[in-house]
Amino acid sequence: MLKPIEDFARLFGAELSLDGSSVVRKANKFFMLNPSLKILAEKSGEWLFAGTYLGKIDGGRFHPSFPLLFMIAEQAQNRVVVDDKAAWLFVCGRDIFKEGILEVKGSRRKGAYTLVFNRYGECLGFGVIAKDLEKARDGVVVKNILDVGDFLRRERGERISET
Amino acid sequence: MFGREFFVNRYRLLGWEFRDVTPRQAIRVNAMNVKGVKIVERLRGLGVELEEIPFVRGGYWVLRSEFSVGAAVEYLLGYYSIQEAAAQIPATLFTDLRGKTVLDACAAPGGKTVQLADLMGNTGVVVALDVNERRLKALMNQLERCRVKNTIVYKLDARKISKLDLKFDRILLDVPCSGNFATDKDWFRRRTLADVERNAKLQREILAESVKALKDDGEIVYATCSLEPEEDELNIDWAVKNLGLETVEVECYGEEAPTEIFGKRLDDSIRNCRRIWPDKTQGFFVCKLKKRG
Repeated sequence: MLKPIEDFARLFGAELSLDGSSVVRKANKFFMLNPSLKILAEKSGEWLFAGTYLGKIDGGRFHPSFPLLFMIAEQAQNRVVVDDKAAWLFVCGRDIFKEGILEVKGSRRKGAYTLVFNRYGECLGFGVIAKDLEKARDGVVVKNILDVGDFLRRERGERISET
Repeated sequence: MFGREFFVNRYRLLGWEFRDVTPRQAIRVNAMNVKGVKIVERLRGLGVELEEIPFVRGGYWVLRSEFSVGAAVEYLLGYYSIQEAAAQIPATLFTDLRGKTVLDACAAPGGKTVQLADLMGNTGVVVALDVNERRLKALMNQLERCRVKNTIVYKLDARKISKLDLKFDRILLDVPCSGNFATDKDWFRRRTLADVERNAKLQREILAESVKALKDDGEIVYATCSLEPEEDELNIDWAVKNLGLETVEVECYGEEAPTEIFGKRLDDSIRNCRRIWPDKTQGFFVCKLKKRG
């Protein structure tokens, strides 16, 4: 049950210690439930969402939720910290240029996965290193895979206001 | 029976002189997500002019911003929600939410669900219901964005709560309603008294069903953003007379609700309800109920 989640966390050099009994798979989605929610979820299988959403498997690949990324962020080895301009562009779905990077930790190799942080230490999403960070002098160095701006893109054109 | 003059005259009979109003945008800080983050100072540093809402903790009016506060990184990280000021009131009227089993019967798009989870410190359980697919998606996105951990979502009509076979300590009935002119500039053109009466009937059905799922010592908070008494005082008067409920005194923003509506005398306890005429907020009605005796 936990394998896709733990394998995903390892891409960033993080070892998650999730309690397997608290994680529930519902169709292709994974959720982490507290004991009270677990009792409810077992009582009626008709629910759509419960507890902490961890991610889903789609097209044979694991797609993390943001709460899971934030959990991984607490332990991840692979991380880049970017300046304000690069952070804003990243949240708009753009890749990261070499000049926007303030700090790199963990792997610097092309093809490695890395979390992206702003200068406040907040995880904004993740990407894959596009050029060896030791050698690259300019251009795109981290390709955006997922960023928190996704919340806006999901609801584009159909935002529902709160009354 | 419809049109601006018809409705404005009703408001006059209820003691309010109509004036056009545009409510201010408001945010509510999610305390569960901002530990160690000075979110208000940070937003002010970005040029967002905020004024503390005096009647809800963690609520701020957005007086000016050069960017959409609904697209800021701080919003995307779940540090705050965009929630109209009056709409921030209902969840705060419950006593002692921590560890409780709470029903949010008409939950989408989820602003109040997140607020309940926040007030509960992510303890206990929130059962959130709605029927509309698109609105349910918005609700689930909000729960993910705001890192809510204690909520379970069902696609279920609030008139069928019994299907869950659960008893609740607290029930929030932010019922579907006719809305009000302050948030819908076409309101007077689009709405008729028949719409209002249809919504009032649906609301009574939800009230009746929710009482069956309420623990004996439980609390219901009923809210609408309608100014029409059929959906507000008259429905609560009906609930007091037919469902074994009584109103509970609350300390919150708004006027004491009238106990005489268009010549009809209501139960005196209806004065415990709060009617909020549009001004700095939209129009709103809220009250707290419990089982009698």
